[in-house]
Amino acid sequence: MASASLRSLTFGQKLLILAVLAFTIGPFAPLIIQSLAFRWAWPDLLPSVWWLEQRQISPFPLAWDYVLSPTSKVLEATVNTIGIGVAVSLLCLLICLPAARVLARANFRGKKRLEFFLSLPLLVPEAAIGIALLMIFTGLGLSGTYVGVIIVHLIPTVPYMVRMLTAVYQGLDQGFEDNARVLGANDWQVLTRVTLPMLMPGVLAGALFTFLVSTNLFLLTFFIGQGSIVTLPTLLFSQISGGAMGATAAGIALVASLPGLILLVLSDRLIREEAFALGIGE
Amino acid sequence: MIQHDRPSSHRQPLSLREKLQLAPLLLVMLGLFGGALVLGLLQSFGFAPWFGINEFPNPDYFVALWSSPDFWLSLGLTLYYGVVSTLLGLIISVPLALAFERRFCGSKVLLAVSRLPLMVPYSVGIALALIMLGNGGIISRLAASLGLISDPGAFPAILHSHWGWGIIAVYVWKQVPFMTMAILAVLLGLGQGTREAAMVLGARTHQVFWRVTLPQLMPGIVSASLICFAFNVGAFEAPFILGGGYPETLPVLAWRYFNDANYVYQLQGMAVIVSLTLVSGVILAGYLFAYRRFERKRGRL
Amino acid sequence: MKNLKKIGWSAVLLTALLGTTTAHAMDDAEFRSQFLSGSMDWSEVTKRAQDEGTVNFYYWGGSDIINLWIDQVAKPALAEEGVTLNPVRITATKDTVDVILAQLASGKGEGEGSVDMLWVNGENFFTLKQQGALWGSFADKLPNSVNFEWDNADPRAQLNLSDFGTATDRMEMPWSGEQYVCAVDRAHVSQEETPATFEDLKAYLEQNPGKFAYVKPPHYLGNTFVQSVLYAHNPEGTGAEPFQLSLEELGADKLAALIEPGFAYLKEIEPLLLGGPQGNPRYPEGPSELDNLFLNSEVHFNCKFGLYGVYAGLITGTYPETAEEMIFPAGNMIKNKSYLAIPLNSPNSAAALVAINYFSSVASQAAMMKQAGMPAGLDTWKLAEADQAIINEAAPPHYGVTQAEFDANIAPDTNASLVDVIEGTWLEVIERGSDKPIKDVVAEVVANLK
Repeated sequence: MASASLRSLTFGQKLLILAVLAFTIGPFAPLIIQSLAFRWAWPDLLPSVWWLEQRQISPFPLAWDYVLSPTSKVLEATVNTIGIGVAVSLLCLLICLPAARVLARANFRGKKRLEFFLSLPLLVPEAAIGIALLMIFTGLGLSGTYVGVIIVHLIPTVPYMVRMLTAVYQGLDQGFEDNARVLGANDWQVLTRVTLPMLMPGVLAGALFTFLVSTNLFLLTFFIGQGSIVTLPTLLFSQISGGAMGATAAGIALVASLPGLILLVLSDRLIREEAFALGIGE
Repeated sequence: MIQHDRPSSHRQPLSLREKLQLAPLLLVMLGLFGGALVLGLLQSFGFAPWFGINEFPNPDYFVALWSSPDFWLSLGLTLYYGVVSTLLGLIISVPLALAFERRFCGSKVLLAVSRLPLMVPYSVGIALALIMLGNGGIISRLAASLGLISDPGAFPAILHSHWGWGIIAVYVWKQVPFMTMAILAVLLGLGQGTREAAMVLGARTHQVFWRVTLPQLMPGIVSASLICFAFNVGAFEAPFILGGGYPETLPVLAWRYFNDANYVYQLQGMAVIVSLTLVSGVILAGYLFAYRRFERKRGRL
Repeated sequence: MKNLKKIGWSAVLLTALLGTTTAHAMDDAEFRSQFLSGSMDWSEVTKRAQDEGTVNFYYWGGSDIINLWIDQVAKPALAEEGVTLNPVRITATKDTVDVILAQLASGKGEGEGSVDMLWVNGENFFTLKQQGALWGSFADKLPNSVNFEWDNADPRAQLNLSDFGTATDRMEMPWSGEQYVCAVDRAHVSQEETPATFEDLKAYLEQNPGKFAYVKPPHYLGNTFVQSVLYAHNPEGTGAEPFQLSLEELGADKLAALIEPGFAYLKEIEPLLLGGPQGNPRYPEGPSELDNLFLNSEVHFNCKFGLYGVYAGLITGTYPETAEEMIFPAGNMIKNKSYLAIPLNSPNSAAALVAINYFSSVASQAAMMKQAGMPAGLDTWKLAEADQAIINEAAPPHYGVTQAEFDANIAPDTNASLVDVIEGTWLEVIERGSDKPIKDVVAEVVANLK
């Protein structure tokens, strides 16, 4: 009895899931409609004039025609977002992989404190980091450059990456590495033939998650990029900062959601809930 | 979580090789992140040689800030958004995680779909809020088509109001999936054993929830709410676009100072940010401290 | 520094190659002084511009049709002159002014900045000029300056010579001449109900509470609305006239006396503004938010700079189909120009000159009217008949009001040094709801500015 009632959903739970889904993904429907609208005024539930009706007579590109034209800078922003995301993921892996190995295996003084320190960037307001760093970066000539933006993206991504990789190393049986060594493999061979293949799923998950965090970052890119590095979040911000939504803003919002949507499909198998066992304050 | 007994439970000093392996990480964390913190603090005390200002330690920026009633209004507003949206997020996420824990038919797909807000930028959430919640937005139009209102002005102000439900909605929208995942991670690590045992022993559903489930979930709840709270008080986009004007939240206030042509105001802006970091740090530390006492009482730490 | 070095190296290189020092290897300061002295031939400028290659143009990028016009028309046209136009779209001109000032403060002087030219007027120009951050008096030395009236004796030259009461000193080139125009939604407001004065507006709002909003100062659109209220309520009945003086000339006490009735009006109508009936009066942050309110019938009027605003709103779908223009406030519709300026530390100043010269041409101005819905900035009486016809033909249509009626109701802008004070007073009296006497508020704001 008890067991059965734990396995099936109550009515309230079904309602909750429905309500949450309506709340989280429901608003995307009007967003899509808005991106296809020419004139859509209160109290119409659908646009009174659609973009396609106006398309032939309009003297200039509207809605998606504008979004996809070079003037909107959508392509530039997409390329920048993905490029920066990939660079940040790789750099982050390079930094965190060796460190995660030590954190997973060694037991040293101050380790707990170090682990807490490593999660601090998640607890300090982004604006504080951005503003403080902007001054040094301007001095070093790094503000407004790709290098500057990539470096600053490391701050919020490293904590996640280190945690996820440490968990992977902890789950990895050191015995396999030792066996390989006994059988005569050198360090490089152990790394490339044994450790990395076994780490691969975790590494991929970490890299994907880092990519995701990087592609969603706004404030740090905004500060350090100084307007000359346009990414999808900064482009969308400048579109909606006027406080109104038109067809082009809606189109850009949809394009800005695409990387996340693609990752959602890809990562369903890769990003497990376990990665989110954040464990701050243990 | 369950602590594994590691083969080497005694502490050893790190070998040179291990130190080298830690070095890049420490460089980023201490050099970049730590450097930013220290520099921010120095600036707020009047250290900015690149502007030809070096009056460290000069507490004037803090004195000027803390003696203005505007600052306290802004601080209150910032904390209000942070606390209310974190609490609301938890109220939704805990039952949601419990529902998703039961691997029902289609649960994987639904869980993945509900994760979408986590995957997209915050500004997408703001765009959705603009389209849905304004007086001319979709909800207002639905109300009109149901005959509830006959003029957009009659719809209650959700955006640009001082109660900021629009801002809170965006935070909750973005954070529910995050919190749900963090809590679900703990749930999956626990298994259902204890709760089933309690049910078998005759405990009522709400007794199980308050006495068994919730305490077990605390690690996930604490981690997730710490991160979300810290983010909410430090966020800039949502209050900037959806806010109700004066008084503004501290990050927006700092932004205005920072953008002033008179660069001396940048130091004032830094003082705003440092104050915010301090206040949120004290709140977070207090929260952690209370949580640890709670765990100690339960004998887990 | 870097740039200077680069130019220095290229000079050495050129000397080695050609055996002579060529004109375009001169450094930025030398080029500037030679050009401004008027002793330089325009062909030398275009040659140098081609060497520089790119011009970074910073402008408000909030309008799709302006952006498209820049990309599709201006960019190719300048490419033909050998200059690559790099449009940098910003959300507020003030940000760019701050960047320029910050660069100059950190020692990035002539030729070492990042902004080559910007779209500017009013307070932003005032700030740049006051800080000595402008390149110089170039405007009347461009070939296309013949399209503009520079004669001090001609009162029509005022808009070219004075920007919000600040003498332009030809440090900026007029680009577009705008007028503060209100649109009205005929679906809600009949011809008879249409207000012509602020008292009419108040009467309308008493019948239809909540159906008006003005953009929140310190946004320039909000400032402009407040200024027209102040003109109309000037207790001396002299309208805009005393507001042309600078703060020093006028004095804070006099200013307080002049603006008191206007602010009393602004306070009176506050409960009748958008959200006012619900107890939470709301001021939109900018034009796009106001457009949206207008489209959704949340307000019945939309006041902003836009002689062709209704036309632009109709072709972009951002205005209701029933939108028309109106004359409001009668006799106090503020007209001004916006300009193109070059900052002192422009790294490609010759290219900026070539670009500004292009933007001042008849062809460019006609295309701008037609495609971007921006009114021309040149002075038609200076043009040959054929060119006048081109401009007249390019003008977008008006809806409900004629150009002659618009021209008959203009008023000048407020002196930039007063704008800061009026802005600060608005924030204190309206936004923060202070009950202090206006005189004290103005005195406080003036003290804070210093």
